[in-house]
Amino acid sequence: MRNKRAWFAFPYVIWMALFVVIPIVIMAVYAFTAADPVTNASYATMANFTGMGIYLSVFLRSFWLAVVATLVCLLIGYPVSYWMAKEGPRFQRVAMALIMLPMWMNFLLRTYSWMSILENNGLLNQLFRAMGLLNLLGVEYIQMIGTSGAVVLGMVYNYLPFMILPIYSVIVKLDGSLIEAARDLGANSATVFRKVIFPLSLPGILSGVTMVFVPSVSTFAISNLLGGGNQMMLGDLIELQFLGGAYNPHLGAAISMVMMVIVVVCMVVMNHFGEGEEQAVIM
Amino acid sequence: MKQSNRIGSRLFIGLTFLFLYLPIFLLIIFSFNAGDSSAVWKGFSLNWYVSLFQNSLIMESLYTTLLVSLLATAIATVAGTFAAIGLYSLGRRKRDALLVVNDIPMMNADIVTGVSLCLFFVAFFQGWGAFANWFNGVQSVVTLPDKLHLGFTTMLLAHVAFNIPYVILNVAPKLRQMDKNLVDAAQDLGCTWMQAFWKVILPEIKPGIVSGALIAFTMSIDDFVISYFTAGSSTSTLAMRIYSMTKKRITPEVNAVSTLLFLSVLVLLVLNNVREIRQERRAASQEIREPSFFEKLSMRFNQPSFKWVRRGVTAAMACAFVVVVVLLTGATSSQPVVNVCSWGEYIDEDLITQFEEETGIRVNYQTAESNEALYSLLKSGGADYDVIVPSDYMISQLIEEDMLEELDYSQIPNFELIDQRFRNLPYDPENKYTVPYTWGTLGLIYNANMVDGELDSWGALYGDEYAGSVLLINNSRDALGAALIHLGYSVNTTNEAEIREAFGLISDASRRGVFQGKVMDQVFQKMEGGNAAIASYYAGDYLSMLENQADGVDLRYVIPEEGANWFVDAMCVLKDAPHYDAAMAWINFIASTDANLANMDYIWYASPNAEALEQYPAYYEELYGEELDPELYEIMAAPADVLERCEMYTVLPRATRALYNDLWIQLGT
Repeated sequence: MRNKRAWFAFPYVIWMALFVVIPIVIMAVYAFTAADPVTNASYATMANFTGMGIYLSVFLRSFWLAVVATLVCLLIGYPVSYWMAKEGPRFQRVAMALIMLPMWMNFLLRTYSWMSILENNGLLNQLFRAMGLLNLLGVEYIQMIGTSGAVVLGMVYNYLPFMILPIYSVIVKLDGSLIEAARDLGANSATVFRKVIFPLSLPGILSGVTMVFVPSVSTFAISNLLGGGNQMMLGDLIELQFLGGAYNPHLGAAISMVMMVIVVVCMVVMNHFGEGEEQAVIM
Repeated sequence: MKQSNRIGSRLFIGLTFLFLYLPIFLLIIFSFNAGDSSAVWKGFSLNWYVSLFQNSLIMESLYTTLLVSLLATAIATVAGTFAAIGLYSLGRRKRDALLVVNDIPMMNADIVTGVSLCLFFVAFFQGWGAFANWFNGVQSVVTLPDKLHLGFTTMLLAHVAFNIPYVILNVAPKLRQMDKNLVDAAQDLGCTWMQAFWKVILPEIKPGIVSGALIAFTMSIDDFVISYFTAGSSTSTLAMRIYSMTKKRITPEVNAVSTLLFLSVLVLLVLNNVREIRQERRAASQEIREPSFFEKLSMRFNQPSFKWVRRGVTAAMACAFVVVVVLLTGATSSQPVVNVCSWGEYIDEDLITQFEEETGIRVNYQTAESNEALYSLLKSGGADYDVIVPSDYMISQLIEEDMLEELDYSQIPNFELIDQRFRNLPYDPENKYTVPYTWGTLGLIYNANMVDGELDSWGALYGDEYAGSVLLINNSRDALGAALIHLGYSVNTTNEAEIREAFGLISDASRRGVFQGKVMDQVFQKMEGGNAAIASYYAGDYLSMLENQADGVDLRYVIPEEGANWFVDAMCVLKDAPHYDAAMAWINFIASTDANLANMDYIWYASPNAEALEQYPAYYEELYGEELDPELYEIMAAPADVLERCEMYTVLPRATRALYNDLWIQLGT
């Protein structure tokens, strides 16, 4: 009888094999082969991996910008979640709704909106000009678009809700009696935070960090729009070889593989700190 | 003390919200702009809302987005719920192993999921093609299509694939909390298994299913990357449409559609909040009151005697849903179509409407960013275009790789109107594959108010003088071509040292921060708005920029003294194009003198049609009541002595192309 229900899992196992496992296997096959430039026949090779050194700077930049964006998200997101959880239920509900709402507006549009703000002749520079700031500095404009700062801004802007939601959902469920107990035992606010609240909110932080870091490290649309193609990231590199101006799916697949492995290793290491805590579920 | 704390924290939260909402408010404000800029306010108007509903491209992509999200959510919710139930009846070890696989799509970066699924579908299509050929060979009762393409179905499968894990993730905790003996008890008491499922399991896990479905829907709506890699060329979601627009000119119609979406979600949220608050109040005050009409109705509805009514209504709704889906998909597929892929801002869109009205053939008009991007798209199996409009050198490459179909010139009588100069060119020596679309030059565009004096050398692109306001053209052939010309080499050189030297010029400049960005169609908005000073781009596009340049911008075009590139873009048909005859009709229509005149006037690229080229100044005078500036006409249709200084690209050998590719991806690293 229980086994009868277990059959429900069977179609899904096949589905996962088809749409999760096999695609990754095919990607691996691509990564370990290359097309001969003359005959176009593919042959097995490690060249895609061994020659990847020249893209080291792209790897470093991607991971660096993603780490910065994740940290900024954490620095903004944690206090917001923490203080939100202390407010009344009405406030919380409205605030939650306000955080979810932008997700329904396409992220490309929101990013594009930043473009019109950050352009050399965009709204911010126009504002600076009107304030006389540009004359004061003796420049035509302040370069914002096309810089790594703009890319980080775009990431923080787009992924901040993914940091706030899991942290908030953990903090709001914290057992208040634990905090009371800590106070009764003589801990001051700072100690309560450091010894009780923060450790207990760690699962939320971990899932928030994951949810911000993974899309940040692999983005291509944001770096494309706000970085102007100067701030090439891993996502751009991969896109370039599949649908962009330098068709080479073999190298693209190899880079995707490496990125996947590094991200998985990062996640495993990080989740180790969580010591098997249940991941916070958003919403 | 406490009070001040609260003010501080609220201020912080408020500022965060301001940060989140500032760009959104700007989007909304500029959807009411009378002008078409998203940075310059020109007065209030509702024009963009009116034109939104007339813009079939945006409305179609909105519809695709909603359809794929709804279908994927429905399928993933049902499949995910059953899968979760199945997984939780397995032994612990098996279940944990499967859950790890289940987590993969959530852990993976979107781009990895998208790429791997794209490769999977393409591999499947290849296998299917072989199978279909064999199958059609051994029997003649059923003919299987042997060429499959990425499209709506593959995108839907991809969405379902990344949605199911989220559903499982949300249903699983509810299953874990459920008392396992409940089902056994129900069955002991005489329930069949199905009854136990409907009456015991489902009510227990319902909240998990609902939140799973919600998350799946949100993920689907917000997704761009996975759709981008799996939808192919002929289907596009709103996000993909917007992405292709951000590469050229975003029209405020997109602002309008987002404003409407935003407002509808806002209304839903507010209603939901109000409902919850009411419920809470009611619960708090334990108020007993007369149930409202709807509540009575729903109470009646839930009575056992209404079981059949309930099932009937559910069945009717499901049927209606299926019928609507079938009708909508049927409505779009019954009409004859032709899939055209061209470049951004490269056609007078009225011509599309005119052609559709004249012939009844629907035109599915797409754009690609550059020849190289088009090539990638074709190679990755993502495209089912009939007509494409590549440039000279890319045409040779496609012919060389046997990717083009010969044209049936008996169906294209207008080919006779093409000027002899543009026939039998080196890329298609016997003129079997192509009908020229436009021709022109690649030159230097600069904003005279941002540079000192007149520019007449490609060197301006690589010097430090205008660092930060130079735009590099974002395709390897044109970017390296200009550098090669500047160094005095041929654009068609196969000498590796020369190519590397040219690349060095560009990559050095890039490292020194000379380039503000690598752009293709974004060049319009950047140059017109005075956001950049110098760019290399095509003559025709310079003339469109001239029409739209903002106040204080003075754009000039020059063919540098070192020389330049001149090109022909021609219409070709892809091998095994699904709509060959419709493609011929389209090519013939576009080659006509009237269409060429309209196009010339709209996109400002010179026509290869001898009549149109000659008649254009008169046409212009009649249309606008003023004479066409001969200087502009010469920029558009470069005279013979200018063309002599220009060199046409020819196809490069494979090894050189591979070098171009390698170098190009290294740029910006």
